[in-house]
Amino acid sequence: MLSWEYPPRIIGGLARHVEGLSKALASMGHEVHVVTLDFPSAPYEVEEGSLYIHRVAVDVPAPTFHSWVLLFNHFFEKRLGQLARKFGVPDVVHVHDWLTVSGGVAAKHLLRAPLVMTFHSTEASRSSNSPSPESAMVRGLEWWGSFESARIIAVSGWMRSEVVSMFKVPDEKVKQIPNAVDPQKFEAPVDTQAVRSKWKVKEGERLITAVGRLTSQKGFDDLIRAYPLIRRAIPASKLLIVGDGYMRGELEALAEREGVRESVTFAGFVSETDLVGALRSSDVVAVPSRFEPFGIIALEAMSAGAPLVVSRVGGLAEIVEDHVDGIEVEPNSPVSLADATIRVLSDRALSARLAEKGMEKAKAYGWNSAAKKTLETYREAVAESRYE
Amino acid sequence: MSESSKRLLSALMVLGAQSPERAIAIDELAARLGLGAQEIESDLKQLVDAGYARMVREPGSSRVYLTGTGIITASSTYS
Repeated sequence: MLSWEYPPRIIGGLARHVEGLSKALASMGHEVHVVTLDFPSAPYEVEEGSLYIHRVAVDVPAPTFHSWVLLFNHFFEKRLGQLARKFGVPDVVHVHDWLTVSGGVAAKHLLRAPLVMTFHSTEASRSSNSPSPESAMVRGLEWWGSFESARIIAVSGWMRSEVVSMFKVPDEKVKQIPNAVDPQKFEAPVDTQAVRSKWKVKEGERLITAVGRLTSQKGFDDLIRAYPLIRRAIPASKLLIVGDGYMRGELEALAEREGVRESVTFAGFVSETDLVGALRSSDVVAVPSRFEPFGIIALEAMSAGAPLVVSRVGGLAEIVEDHVDGIEVEPNSPVSLADATIRVLSDRALSARLAEKGMEKAKAYGWNSAAKKTLETYREAVAESRYE
Repeated sequence: MSESSKRLLSALMVLGAQSPERAIAIDELAARLGLGAQEIESDLKQLVDAGYARMVREPGSSRVYLTGTGIITASSTYS
């Protein structure tokens, strides 16, 4: 498996997806090698049973991000060659998003191993169809990956439709396998009082939590605009934003302008334990994304038993059944977001019902199920692979 | 974050300055961006204050590298 991120290098849901899938495949007795980028304090080589993590350093400087991506793929190719000599040629090479397509295609042809590609998102949606040359290159790599792959995996129905229509690939080549969660991780005992105290949530205050990269896509600016409206109805509340990103300064300034800065905590990146603690201790988890191919945080919040308010976009709208296991709101609408959040915070029966149904639903999204479907996809890829 | 800070963050990542051993001299970093060392001083300070970068002080010169948070933030600009 080739991935530019693997914990503790967590940029988005992709890292947790690759970790969950590779661990589940290894637990079924398969030998899984993940080739990924290095990260401070993470060991270069890890062996956990039949799961091997190989972290690669990029020793050559690049002038731009996009040339750096192509460069680190060459380092991945070198590592793949070394691994093939040591462990044998892999049965399948599996890449995740455009970032590892070039390494995966090289491995396919050099090692004669079938290629499988998972689409977690597409450049067209991420960049709102940007006409920039960099964006064109990324779209080209996505097309190339979809063409060279014997099978494609899409993480949601929405993503699957986009891949089929955008890259003109045969319908039967694309499998829909959703992201998953490890429910055990979210069932661990949590001292919710200690967690709330850590985030300065006073006795009787309600805690609204949002988690993700602080980028425009995630819509946290809408949540901060919604928060004064929420506070008008529920003054005793705190907003906890977990994650970091280039918009942090802008969001802090926005909270200041909205007059709520003192009640908004920007936690930055937190440990897995703190993330579980925050979700388990929240009165509501908001996912106000403008675009979300899947939205793994929604599953995690469900697993943690937190009532959900999500934007009606992409994969989120597929995971959440409106007013059953969460409440859907219009994207880009602070008013809609505030209204739903107030409803969840003011109606304890509704809140408890959403949380209970959410926990039930999350149980259906286990990594073992995703791994079994992925194995079936690998078998199809092996049976149908071609090397022109 | 300003566009110039974002550019600096991204430059540190693609130049491989991701640990104290791989820290890059500030003069060299500025030169790679076609700027003078003084021109990146303020953005660099912002990155350090935000916890995205750390300085390695040495007699006569200073080098800089990205922290784990800095690497993730720089990467999140593109994903």
